[in-house]
Amino acid sequence: MVAKMIVKIDNVSKSYNKHSVIKAISLDIEKGERVVILGPSGCGKTTLLRIVAGFIHPNQGKVIIDGNVVADNGKCIIEPENRQVGMVFQDLALWPHMSNYKNLEFGLKAKKIPKMETRKRIDEIFEKVQMTQFKNVYPGELSGGQQQRIALARALVMQPKILLMDEPLSSLDADLSLTLRKEILRLQEELAITLIYVTHDREEAFSLASRIVVMESGKIQKTGTVSEITAYLSGL
Amino acid sequence: MGKRFTLYTTIFLLIGIGLAPVLYMFIRSLFVDGGFSLRNYETLFQSDREWRLLFNSLSLAGATTLITVLLGVPLGTLFAKTDLPLKRFFTILFVIPLLVPSYILAIAWFYCLGRSGIVAMIFNADVGILTSNLLFGFAGTLFVMVSALLPVVIILTITYLRMVNPNLEEAAMLYGPWTTVLRKITIPLITPGIALAGLIVFILTLGEFGVPSFLRFDVYPVESFTQFSAFYNFNTATAAAIPLGLITLVVLIIERFFLRKKTFIFRTMGSEKKMLVVPLGKSKPFFMVAVSILVFILVIIPLCILIHKSVSISAYTEAFIRSIGSIMRSLVYASIGATCLVVFGFFLGYILARKAIRLFYAVDSIAIFLFALPGAVIGIGLSGLWNTPGTNFIYASMCIIIFGYIAQYTALGERIMAATFSHVPHSMEEAAQNVGAGWFRRLSGILIPLAKRGMVATWFIGFIFCLRDIGITMMVYPPAHDTLPVRIFTLMANSPEDVISAMCVIMIMITLLPLGGLGLVKRYIK
Ligand SMILES: Nc1ncnc2c1ncn2[C@@H]1O[C@H](COP(=O)(O)OP(=O)(O)OP(=O)(O)O)[C@@H](O)[C@H]1O
Ligand SMILES: [Mg+2]
Repeated sequence: MVAKMIVKIDNVSKSYNKHSVIKAISLDIEKGERVVILGPSGCGKTTLLRIVAGFIHPNQGKVIIDGNVVADNGKCIIEPENRQVGMVFQDLALWPHMSNYKNLEFGLKAKKIPKMETRKRIDEIFEKVQMTQFKNVYPGELSGGQQQRIALARALVMQPKILLMDEPLSSLDADLSLTLRKEILRLQEELAITLIYVTHDREEAFSLASRIVVMESGKIQKTGTVSEITAYLSGL
Repeated sequence: MGKRFTLYTTIFLLIGIGLAPVLYMFIRSLFVDGGFSLRNYETLFQSDREWRLLFNSLSLAGATTLITVLLGVPLGTLFAKTDLPLKRFFTILFVIPLLVPSYILAIAWFYCLGRSGIVAMIFNADVGILTSNLLFGFAGTLFVMVSALLPVVIILTITYLRMVNPNLEEAAMLYGPWTTVLRKITIPLITPGIALAGLIVFILTLGEFGVPSFLRFDVYPVESFTQFSAFYNFNTATAAAIPLGLITLVVLIIERFFLRKKTFIFRTMGSEKKMLVVPLGKSKPFFMVAVSILVFILVIIPLCILIHKSVSISAYTEAFIRSIGSIMRSLVYASIGATCLVVFGFFLGYILARKAIRLFYAVDSIAIFLFALPGAVIGIGLSGLWNTPGTNFIYASMCIIIFGYIAQYTALGERIMAATFSHVPHSMEEAAQNVGAGWFRRLSGILIPLAKRGMVATWFIGFIFCLRDIGITMMVYPPAHDTLPVRIFTLMANSPEDVISAMCVIMIMITLLPLGGLGLVKRYIK
């Protein structure tokens, strides 16, 4: 293998009561890639992302993350909490009863990271997302964009191998969305992290992706670079 | 897998503590002298007496349901949707009878209407005989059951009315006056709630032991209890309990198949739109008077009788001397029971709200079935199952009472917690899992803090239900383990009226105190 494969989705299917939502999808993702999954509502984007995160177990197929088989033919082999995959949820899911600092600290505590390092990592990441002054504030007191940054920071502070984002910007206005897209690009480059990003917005996809995966009713229609996909979509 | 283990352990405990005794009792009743036989059931419905029991049980439950619904729905509507003055105050007053053992109301009315009661003293002995005859029997039992269970209908009517989408009413108001909107739109929208309320009243009346026993109206739970405790005849007691179990089962199956399927357009919780308020206008005084009279008859009079009867220091001293042990036990057992209900409710509610296991619906059905089953039935089952030399540590200790509480009232905790969890987005927990938190850390760090309010509410409601329980406790309490309601019930026949009244007042007070606590907690936790 020349390039380092970090995620391998191998012939994965998922159905709910015979209604099949993901139909034999295979996808290889290399380290450091920014893969955007683009497709209309209901095509199975979220489902695919949650299969990688481990919240949904596929009925068939294999998921391999960083060389480890995490799910195999309906069996969950590695639990979501041990997959080292960061996720920013569509509704952010910030814990309202904890300050922003505690929100970040929670996972590090769970992983038994030493106190000193915990503090250092949190401070660094607050710096990176420019939220240092909001450390001791509760998420409920933040604006939408600020909450977005905290959610991102909470995922990144765990230093995951892969970052999953499910339409994280869909609830923000266009300007803010643009700014945050730039931030995400910057952070992704700085941390050299692999990004899998779900959206139904073409413009968002084009501005973020190093590779685009077009999905349609549970199948991958086409994968390619931004220019390839632009050509493909305009040809439709 | 800590999570599966926790959830399945809870389910198995519920089955072991609640369902197993009932099944054991049923199976055991099918064996006579070591062989399979239906002999225990042969006598069932053979005598007129059996038919009378069935008729009495069903007619009491049916009449109570009918009257509570006819009274409770208008009252609930008045309290929830109109500008009736003092409506919160009225609601609280109406709810009080539900919080204390129902037979306390019967005692109060006995002191008023009995042969040597207040009425007889005011008028003459003949009037006393007349009122006493009315009280002891169908009419009196019905009246007391209505005052005790009316709050169920009121509360559920209010709850469901609050969920009605105001847009629907607004749309209808373009076409007619409020009375029409209420009758044609609002009330039909809450029929599932009304049906549920009626169902609960029916089932609770069917299982009621204290009131009919005191007022000597023969129904199944009383018969079961007599067979069980007076003659210690496990088999006939079971046979008398089985019809109750069957009726309960049938009613529940009807509910599961017909009521659940209906979906109505309710507003999503937390929508900011306010509920529409109906102005009563010129009829306000009329409704005020009507509600006042009702609350006076159903609640104020019995309370006043008890207070009036007990009003002397010696009565309270005597009451304390005779029942201080029971009071303490009541508080301790109810606290332990409530705590267990929080734990069971937490995990079962989680299962129900998250559909966390495939069989969530079956688990819910078990909890609901046990809730609906008369306490007498559960009690007989528990005694039968645990009365072995090896399990004496359960049978002869408070464990068996706590088991009874868990069996009977878990559904309450389950439903409150399920409602709580349905307001906690699943992603809250998934996010914790995503940053590497295992089940127990998610529990302590995320789920418990976010469900705290529901847990506190479960504890207090569980506490009140354990505290007022008599159906189960009466059946299972080991010697020297009686609770206050049981104590009052057993002392009642041969103790001075003022002492019994004082005990009843104490009972009411220790029930209302935690309720005040709940009010405070509601105000101060967010
Ligand atoms: N738990 C479930 N049970 C049954 N069907 C489901 C479940 N979850 C998702 N589906 C179905 O799977 C399909 C894909 O859902 P998914 O959420 O993955 O779509 P999506 O591409 O993320 O859509 P959107 O852009 O609207 O978020 C939908 O048709 C949905 O109805
Ligand atoms: Mg989606």
